[in-house]
This record gives sequence, structure tokens and C-alpha cells, in this order.
Amino acid sequence: MLNLNPQTLKKLRRFRQIKRGYYSFLILAGLMVLLAFGELLINSRALVVSYEGELYFPTYTAFHPGTDFGLDYDYEVNYRDLKEKFAADGSGNWLLMPLVPYNAFENHAPGGIFTPLAPNAAQQHYLGTDTTSRDILARLFYGTRIALIFSIGFMLSVYLIGIAIGCSMGYFGGVFDLLFQRLIEIWSNVPFLYMVIIIFSVIPAAFSVPTRIAILLAVMVLFSWTGMTYYMRTETYKEKARDYVAAARVIGASDSRIIFKHILPNVLSTLVTFMPFTIVGAVSAITALDFLGFGLPPPTPSLGELLKQGTANLRTAPWIVISAFGTLVALLTLVTFVGEAVRESFDPKTYSIYR
Amino acid sequence: MKQRPSSKWLLMLAALFLAGCGGESGGGGESDAASATIDNTAEVEADYAAEPDFYRFKTLDDLPADLVWENGADLPEIGSPEAKKGGTRYIALPDFPRTLRTAGPDSNGAFRPYILDNVVTLIAHLHPDEREFYPALAESWALDPETSTVYVKLDPAATWSDGVPVTTDDFFFMFWFYKSEYIRAPWYNNWYGTQYTNITRYDDRTFSITSASAKPDYASRVLELHPRPRHHFKELGEDYLERYQWRFTPTTGAYVLRDGDLKKGRSIVLTRNKDWWAKDKKHFRYRYNPDRVQFNIIRDTPKRFEAFKRGDIDQFGLALSEYWYEKLPDSDPDVQAGYIAKSVFYNEYPRPPYGLWMNTSQPLLDDLNVRLGVQHASNWQLVIDQYFRGDAARLKTANEGFAEFNDPSIEPREFDISKAQAYFAAAGFTERGPDGILVNAEGQKLAFTLSTGYENLADVMTILKQEAQKAGLELRIEILDSTTGWKKVQEKQHEIHLVAFGRFLEMYPRYWEHYHSDNAYDDAFLDDGSINPDRELKTQTNNLEAFADFEMDGLIDRYRASQDKDEMVELSHQILNLHHEHASFSPGWYQPSLRLGHWRWIRYPDYFNHRYISTIDDLWVHWIDTDLKKEVLEARKSGKTFPPKIQVYDQWKP
Repeated sequence: MLNLNPQTLKKLRRFRQIKRGYYSFLILAGLMVLLAFGELLINSRALVVSYEGELYFPTYTAFHPGTDFGLDYDYEVNYRDLKEKFAADGSGNWLLMPLVPYNAFENHAPGGIFTPLAPNAAQQHYLGTDTTSRDILARLFYGTRIALIFSIGFMLSVYLIGIAIGCSMGYFGGVFDLLFQRLIEIWSNVPFLYMVIIIFSVIPAAFSVPTRIAILLAVMVLFSWTGMTYYMRTETYKEKARDYVAAARVIGASDSRIIFKHILPNVLSTLVTFMPFTIVGAVSAITALDFLGFGLPPPTPSLGELLKQGTANLRTAPWIVISAFGTLVALLTLVTFVGEAVRESFDPKTYSIYR
Repeated sequence: MKQRPSSKWLLMLAALFLAGCGGESGGGGESDAASATIDNTAEVEADYAAEPDFYRFKTLDDLPADLVWENGADLPEIGSPEAKKGGTRYIALPDFPRTLRTAGPDSNGAFRPYILDNVVTLIAHLHPDEREFYPALAESWALDPETSTVYVKLDPAATWSDGVPVTTDDFFFMFWFYKSEYIRAPWYNNWYGTQYTNITRYDDRTFSITSASAKPDYASRVLELHPRPRHHFKELGEDYLERYQWRFTPTTGAYVLRDGDLKKGRSIVLTRNKDWWAKDKKHFRYRYNPDRVQFNIIRDTPKRFEAFKRGDIDQFGLALSEYWYEKLPDSDPDVQAGYIAKSVFYNEYPRPPYGLWMNTSQPLLDDLNVRLGVQHASNWQLVIDQYFRGDAARLKTANEGFAEFNDPSIEPREFDISKAQAYFAAAGFTERGPDGILVNAEGQKLAFTLSTGYENLADVMTILKQEAQKAGLELRIEILDSTTGWKKVQEKQHEIHLVAFGRFLEMYPRYWEHYHSDNAYDDAFLDDGSINPDRELKTQTNNLEAFADFEMDGLIDRYRASQDKDEMVELSHQILNLHHEHASFSPGWYQPSLRLGHWRWIRYPDYFNHRYISTIDDLWVHWIDTDLKKEVLEARKSGKTFPPKIQVYDQWKP
């Protein structure tokens, strides 16, 4: 069993009492689970294919050429067509499609013309299609997943660097502190957005999409870790002067042991309260960059790209902007609610009023 | 006593502040160095004297007596006699012009047509219906095919917009100007330095110019020149770029920029010159009708469209199907109420050839089989049917629209997965990887970067990518802004690039720029025609395919030297066939028509426009009906409607 100290348990109990934050957390957690198994819900590949007595599960495997299922082409099977074919020839073969039978990249134009299609349950485009007839629900879903993974990766990296440097600054103090403070002051004055835009515009497209996303993440982290150091530095300064640190030192604990085993757990509450807001910041940043066209490389599904399409087609295809904007608002609201609840529950004063 | 130091501080601060301001305005306008007077008269004259064969001075008595002078006066008028002068034309620019210069870096922008290309008066112009010359600056001219010389007598009325008469000196200076290193324009340096051999002065208004070769179109090479004002460029020197950055060059055309009408970063107003020397000339009197032309900057296409729908700008190009069918459909209330008219105009003009330019200097793309595979993996028909909704047409070669110079027997390669795969297999790509993309024996993926500088064509790229995937080819899409995209191909950093070159109305296509090895590599071949192992890729040229073929070089050299039209046609067919076999350009589509939405108050002649034009505004035949504008604006408020105006003008449909 996880052995939590009573202080933490108390905080968690308090978190559960803040209903708004707690339910938001449950919804978010549920969403994360859904997102993790997204391929089973929204995908152009069938969940199960039964062909001539054999069962196939194509979702997570390598692609099946059409010839595997008696079709005359050797590129990826179009499972929606295959389903109709199976139904038509009544040979006992069958397949099961996910709830939304489209992936985030394919152009599916029922009318033969690439144009935004309004939400249409008959075609299973529940939120309609975008300007190149890609399913909006699929793009939103995978766009959100990428944004969330990106933000969590961003948060972890920023915290790792920020904590390490901030704590060291506070703990060692003196010249080390002075030097890094100046360095951070200079570094944090480099305009973040412009740097991201400039650097990202020179990354050659020859790199694969995941590499380019990783580079974007690295660049963003590089210009964002400074904010965290201020808090960690002051907190560490405060804790360093406490008796337990002196005691640990007298016993002969090493510097790194003191920082990570003694000081860090005591400044954790500051950290935890910042986390959700960092995620909100990262989601907004990546969406904004995408909106400007400097974010995730196309054709990666993204909220910002959908927003951009939506604003360009406000009059003719309002459903694009409505779904993208709605998702963004919902997502950011949920995370913010969780953040507020965390902050409140970690507050040592029981009754505090936020201004 | 106490106040003194503080006031000193203030003074110093003020001084600092002023210095800061001075620096700033110096950057945009004329700095101290630039306002130092220069007089290049001596330099120019010394240069004339240094090249006595090029710049020749004679007298009227030396003029050959047997010349046949023509003046094209019989050619029909241009525009409509109904046209009324007056009103303001509102235009949105995507970007503020970076300079008012018309030569040198940054000068070739979207604004230049309004101060040069579409408004300039040349010696004589090709008639937009008849393709014969009608007079502009020239009163008459005479051709001498023997020596490929054109003799010109200037119209005595011709003056610059600042009142100075146009004389032979301005044409002498044109050569000096375009051959000068000061203007930082290598293309002009080269063209004016190599295509002409001589200009001879007979008197103030009579001169002759000789072309370097007796090409069939030598006359147009001379008659379509436009002079540079000698008096304006007296200060031309090393600092040309800064000194002339924001100076409006006097023009022989109808529109001038008056002082104070340029608000940097915000707007520009051009004003019709009421005393324009050509205003009553036969071929000009019904053109250039609006009194003012107001330019505003609206960067976003969707925002420009909204501005158009509000009536803030007068017309909007509806070439994209999305705009024609969805954003401004025939059923749109403004169209149905007759406030906005929609016009489709078919005409003849070499169209920009959209297609995939494959850089053959890149690994894999240097393999003919790979290129042939890419050709068969490009589903242009789907792009045309589903994205352009059948309104575009499949391009067959990169040089369509040049009448007999085109070879109609060349058929573009169709989308065919099995053919594509056969070619890819021949290049060693036989297996499909787990993601369906072909890999070769070394495990290398068949993947290329497909880049473009056209953000509005992102959808086309997506379609091509999806379809190519079926053939096992991965295209990684890279959408750049136009400047970056252009830079990329000029540096030859691209693998496959989607772009189209603007075409001019010329007699025959230019091949040297695109397909000669001179523009692909430094010393591409050894003397015996084999490939030079040490050759280096040449950047900053329009040979985007890095096309280097010894046989092609020979054909192009002969084509360039040929003075016989029939021979050139024959050579042109050979060049096109060779280019087709080389398969480094996948021909995409072209737009056979110009489509436009315009407010009812912008009036066009009954036949809409002329036969050989590249854009609707080429000839400025439209006019603004100010009374109608008032009426339409009031009708919009009161709900009164007009009969809808949706028209197709297909009299010139090829």
C-alpha cells in the first residue's frame, strides 16, 4: 500500500471535498483514459475483421493491404468500403468499425467535392468536416491528445530544470546564486514567442513529424524554465534556514540528499499548485502557435489549426470554430478548476479567501 | 541652485530622445549621408563616351531615307466610350510595399503593377485584341529586319508627370540605368547588357535601338521598352537603394503619388493626373478612369474578403472554388439583390503552370524511375475534380499557351498506382513497410518533402499526400510563407516543390532560364558531353529542377540563336518532348478563366475585357459609376434590389 503521511492525506481529503475541482479531475482522468485508447474509438481501421473464418485485429498492427481481404489493390484497406462489400456479398464475413470510422488525416468527401460538411449523423461525421473533408471529431480528439501529451512533457521538463537550478541557487546561495540570477534575468528577456517562431521556421521538414514536435518542445522548454526557478529559490532559501536542515547537515548528509530528500518535500506544495496552470499555459501556447502557423507541423491534427480554419470560414462553416473553441474552453476550464482546487487544498490555512 | 542639475538632466534626456528619433526617421527616410548631393552627369557621359559603339550620336541627316514609318493608328480603341472619369477605386494590398523603387531588391512586389507594369506607357504596346502595336510614347516607328533595328520618333506631347518632356536622353539613360551596378538588379543588368547592341540618337525625339539577334520578335523587344527619367535620377549612385527607397519616380502613365499620400504601413493613394499627356490619345482615352486609387493594407485573405463584402474594397478575385461556390455563391443575398456582380471571363494568355518541380540534384530524385513513379502517384485529376470542382484544367506541359510553340501531342501522365509501383520497383523500392510506405533493400523509406510557398494551396498538398500514400510514396508537407518558399527553391534546398511561374505575353516561351545546365550547375559538362564530376549546384536561378542534359543544352542554344520561326517551333517541340521524357516536372493544372466578384458600381465594357490580358486590371478599362455607387449604398439600406448580374464572357474561350 502506498504509505502517505497524514499531512498529505489531509490535503487529499480536502481536495475531494472541493466538489467542482474533484469532479473536474474525475472528468479529466476519464478523458485521459479515453484518449489513451483513442484508436479503439475513433479510427478508420476496423476493430475486428472476420474474413474467411479468421479473425484480424488491425487497430494496432501493421497495415493490411487490400489483397489480404480479397480486394484488388495493395495499399491500405478502406475498411468502410470493405464493410459494405461484406454486407453486399453476404459471404458471412463481417467487421466491426469503431464509433467514429475516420482517422484524423483522411479526406472523406461524400459529395465528391472537398468542402466543409455540416455535422451529419448519417455519414457518422458527428461534428462535420473541415475544409479538406477531414472529420472534425477525429481531428479534435487526436489534436487534444497531442496537446495534452505535449503539455505534460512540457511541464515535466520545465519542472525538472526549474527545480534543479532553483533549488541549487537557493541552497548554495552566494556567487552561484548571483551568477545564475543574472543569467536568468538575461535569458528571460529573450522574447519567447519570436524565438520559437524563428527557430521553428528553420527546422527542415525532412525531419519526421515526431522529431519536429520534439524539437518544438525542446525550444519551448528552453525558454520557459526560468519562471520556476524564482519560486524554488525563495522557498529553498526559507527552508535552508530551518533547524531540520542544520540537523541533517550535522549528521553528515550530502548536499544533494539535503536538497532532494529534505527540502524538496517541504516545498512540494508550492510546486503542486503551479502544475495545472503550467499545463493550461502550455496548451494555450501550442494552440496559439498553431493558429499562427508556427506550431505543430501539418498535417498533425491540432486545436490551433482548426481554430484558424474556423475563423477563415466563420460564415460558411461555423461548426469548425464552434467545436474547436468549445473543446478548448472545456479543456482549459477543467484544468483550471482542478488547479484551483489543488491550490486551495494545499493551502495551510483552512479558511482563506482568494482575491 | 537646486533646479539646475535636474534641468540639465532633462536636457540630456531630451537630447538622447531626439537622437533616438533622428536615428529612426533616418532609417526610413533620408539620412544625412543620403541627402548629400550627388550629380552623376559627368559619370553618365563618361560611360556613354566609353562605349561609342553602344551609345552612338548622329544627326537627322544620317537617318536612312528608305524607312517605312508606321504608327498603328488604325487599331481599334481599347475600353468603352461609355466610361466616365471620376470616383475612387479601393484596393486592398496583402502587405505594405517595401519600397517605391521599381528596380532593385524588394521592388517586384504586389504594388509595382500600380506604379509601373499596368500603368506605364511604353514606346508602343501590343494591342490586347489584335496583337499588333499601337502607339504610346512613339508617334511612329520604322523596322529594319536586316539589322534588327527599330527607329522611333517620339510623340512631341510625351511628358513625365512632373512636366519634363520625354526625350531621347531618357532612353539613353534607360540603358545606363538598367546596366548600372548601383541598382542591384542582376537580371536587368544581364538583359539590357546582352540583348541590345546599340542605341543611336538622331535628335531630341528620334532614335534607334538595335537588338543583339534578329529573333522573330525583335520589334517587341524594342517597342516594349520604357524610358527612365534622366532628370530624376541625377543623384543615382552607390546609395541608390536608400536614396530612392521612398521617392516616387515621375511617370509617363496616368497615376501619380502626391506628397503626403503615402502613410507608411497604413495606406497609399494614387491620383489621376488630370493633365496627363496621353489622356486624349486614341488608345488611352477610355482607360485609367478612377480619379483616385486608394490602397489599404489587409493581410489576411478572409479579412480582405469580409472587407469586400462590406463594400470597403471594390472587387475581389474569386479564382478559388471555395470562394466562387461557397463564400460568394450565386444565392448570396448581395448577389441576388444585384449589389455584387459575378463575372467569369475566358481569354487567351499563357497561364501560370502549377505543378511539382522535382529537384533532380537530390538523392533518389536523380533516378528517372523514381521521378516517373512520382508522376504516376500524383493524382491531379482528383485535385481538379474535388478541389477545383472541374473548373481548372489539367496542364499538359509547363509551357502551354504559346500557340504553335506548344506540342499538343504530349499527354501528361495519369494517376496510376500500378504504373507508379512498377517504376518505384525498378528503382529498388519493392517492399511496403509497416505503415504502407515503400522501402528499398537498405531499409530507406520512399519519402520526400513536398513544399510550397502558397499557403492557400495547403488543401491541394493534403490531397496529393493522401493519394501518393496509396502508391507507397510518402510526401512530407511543408507549407511556407511565400518569401521563405521562394528562397528555398532559389537556394535549391527543396525536394519537390509546388509553384507556378507567372508568364508574359510573348511570342515564344523561354527555355534557357528553366532547362539549361548553365542555370543548374557551374560547368555541368566536360567538353565531350560527359558529366563534370566536380560540378557544383548553382543557386539563385529559375532552373528549379536542376535540369542538366547535354542534348537539351544544344537544343536550347540553337533555339536561342535561331532567327527562323519555323525552326524555333520545331526546336520547341523537341525541347518539350525531351523535358517530358525527363519527367522532372509533374504538370498540375491551370485556370482557363479569370473569375471576379465586383460591386455593381465598378463598370466594365459590354464585352468585359480584352483578349490577351493576364489580370483583370491589366488595362484599366473599368470605371466607377459614382451615381450608381450612391444608389447601391442607399438601396442596401432601404432593401431595394437590382436584377442580379452573374455573367460568363466566353467570346475568347479557346
